[in-house]
Amino acid sequence: MDSKKLILVDDEEGIRRFLGLTLVDLGYTVKTAENGQAALELLKTFTPSIILTDIKMPMMDGIELLKTVKLQSPEIEVIMLTGHGDLDLAIESLKFDAADFITKPINDKVLEISLERTLEKIQMKSKLREYTVNLERLVDEKTQRIVELERQNAACQVIEGLSGALTSASNEMESGSGLFNELPCLVSIHNRYLEIVSANQLLKDRLGDVVGLNSFDIYSDRTSAGNACPVQKTFETGKGQRSKETFLTKDGEEIPVTVYTAPIANKEGEIELVLDISVDMTELQRLKDELLTTQHKFERLFDESPCYISVQNKDFTIAEVNRRFKEDFEDITGSHCYKTYKRSNEPCVECPVKLTFGDGESHQMETVVTTKKGEQKNVLVWSSPIRDAYGNINQVMEMSTDITEIRRLQDHLTSLGFMLGSMSHGVKGMLTALDGGIYRLESGLRKNDQDRIDSATKALKSTVNRVKKMVLDILYYAKSRELEMETVDASSFLTDTASLVAIKAKNAGVTFIQDIPDNLGPIKIDSSAMSATLVNFLENGVDACENPIERKDYSLSFSAARSDNNLVIKITDTGMGMDQETANKIFTLFFSSKGKKGTGIGLFISNQTIEKHNGKILVDSELGKGTSFTITIPCNI
Amino acid sequence: MPKKIMVVDDDPDIVDYLVNVFEDHGYLTCRASDGITAYDVAMAENPDLITLDLEMPHEWGPRFYRRLTLEEQFSDIPVIVISGLSGIHLAIKRAVATIKKPFDPTDVIEIVRKALGDA
Repeated sequence: MDSKKLILVDDEEGIRRFLGLTLVDLGYTVKTAENGQAALELLKTFTPSIILTDIKMPMMDGIELLKTVKLQSPEIEVIMLTGHGDLDLAIESLKFDAADFITKPINDKVLEISLERTLEKIQMKSKLREYTVNLERLVDEKTQRIVELERQNAACQVIEGLSGALTSASNEMESGSGLFNELPCLVSIHNRYLEIVSANQLLKDRLGDVVGLNSFDIYSDRTSAGNACPVQKTFETGKGQRSKETFLTKDGEEIPVTVYTAPIANKEGEIELVLDISVDMTELQRLKDELLTTQHKFERLFDESPCYISVQNKDFTIAEVNRRFKEDFEDITGSHCYKTYKRSNEPCVECPVKLTFGDGESHQMETVVTTKKGEQKNVLVWSSPIRDAYGNINQVMEMSTDITEIRRLQDHLTSLGFMLGSMSHGVKGMLTALDGGIYRLESGLRKNDQDRIDSATKALKSTVNRVKKMVLDILYYAKSRELEMETVDASSFLTDTASLVAIKAKNAGVTFIQDIPDNLGPIKIDSSAMSATLVNFLENGVDACENPIERKDYSLSFSAARSDNNLVIKITDTGMGMDQETANKIFTLFFSSKGKKGTGIGLFISNQTIEKHNGKILVDSELGKGTSFTITIPCNI
Repeated sequence: MPKKIMVVDDDPDIVDYLVNVFEDHGYLTCRASDGITAYDVAMAENPDLITLDLEMPHEWGPRFYRRLTLEEQFSDIPVIVISGLSGIHLAIKRAVATIKKPFDPTDVIEIVRKALGDA
């Protein structure tokens, strides 16, 4: 800005001309305006350092001009010219940042001093502004320098860290062990001369020993430096590349890969090495397929295993079960296995799962469980720990193999042995009695003692009868006895059977309720075996009402109904009942709840007889309330 | 004076048999079919020897034997165990013999004679 430019504003033509000349003499370039409006118009084309303005003018006065100028161009200094009458206005104008005021008539000396002072002010202001701007620039410059240094420092550290990590990674790779060799990736490191300096085992296996070859040699279609491979591109651009490429195996086969490259810079920021990590897509697919196959296999194994599998948590709740389990038991994930398996509220005494959680070993147990259909199954339970990656046992797998069939065969074999064993005492007694009879018969004949002969004959007869009955029993229990099927009238068969028990029930003080309709129709059964079986259940019902705890009426009801082609027989007592554990075991050979009175054979044989008739038995019992047996037998086998 | 033998067995046919055997060899006899009556019979008849079955209703042989030998006059009474149970040879430790059913009557007589010192 030229400091000698000046605008003179006054409404008096004379003052403009006279004062204008004086100002030109003082070395100023002067433009004049007759009021504020005109001055503002002039400012659009002419930029002065100083405006000299009269206060009182038409159109726009000096104060208004001052305000406007200070708003638009605060660097222009304004000196007010005032008459005697408007000294107050002159002082007021100072508030609006006027540089000075000069009173009319104008003294040349005063004007010159005022102008000089104003110019000085302008210069000082501009110097000050210059200094301020300089200082700001300096601060900016210094700050930028510092930020730049910091950035470089950080970048250096990052690069150092990265190259350190990669160096150790590549070292591990070279030592032939470590993580990189485990990856299903082809990893190689290239130097700036586009030579392969290192490669992992998998890459060497697939592509041969490529160390020392050119970077582009491993690509099937990047044969020259002109046809830049991703490694070369990385050196050129300094940026990691990602592309689909084709590698050439040592056998000349092409394998599709996805290539990722990463530049490794040294401390100076120059790219020294390029890391090339290529994922073999076929390998990846193969692994995926393998994983899927394995998963399928595992799932199938889990689901199709010929046993019930459950996975149990530390609190013995069920986490997962297999398909067979779901088929035969209520699927209550989160429930306890003893609840699901045995409908019991207590865990088994020797819970194998608990033992496994304790010592991490497998444990075994044999027990009887009840399916949701009410069928009894003998199961062999194996427990096995499931360890997490840290070796902690968080879950235990429980495998229950249904050994009902095996048990049945075993029971049969055992029953033969048992029968012979348990009967042998009786057999020996009877043999002794036979010996005795013969001895007494012989000695009686010798002594001609008719009484002894008669007595001996009688004893022999009764002993032979006992032998006969026992042999028949053994044959019956030993299952060598075939069913003798005959068609009978169900109603009269059941009524006859009931009459066999009525007396026992009466003697025991048990009310015997019969509900046998007349029109049950014909049924094909082994009537003697079935009759014995039903009597067994009925007599057990009477026995269950023994030892009355309080004065309460006990009853045994025997009812039957025809349902489709089945005869459904229900035997219900209001006796002592059984807990679930006992109910689970009643059909097991040698299990007896009657102490010495029971042999543990009765219900076992009864169950067998009903099974041989293709029938089913359902047990519903509650301790202290009574027991109900529902026997379903098909009318035609 | 002939010695008296008490036959204890729950099978009356066997009791008849043994009683006949002993009587044919000149012994006096008395009989019981279980441990409880055997005690009363022994107190009343004062036998010199007992043949004892093990498994009987009400009271088994060994328990009857223990109870009886608490009585002073029976503390040393010879007992021959005659039973069909297997593994019985130690059921009554002080038994003079243990005979398994079925038995040969001549063996029984021989043992009885030895036990009673009738050689």
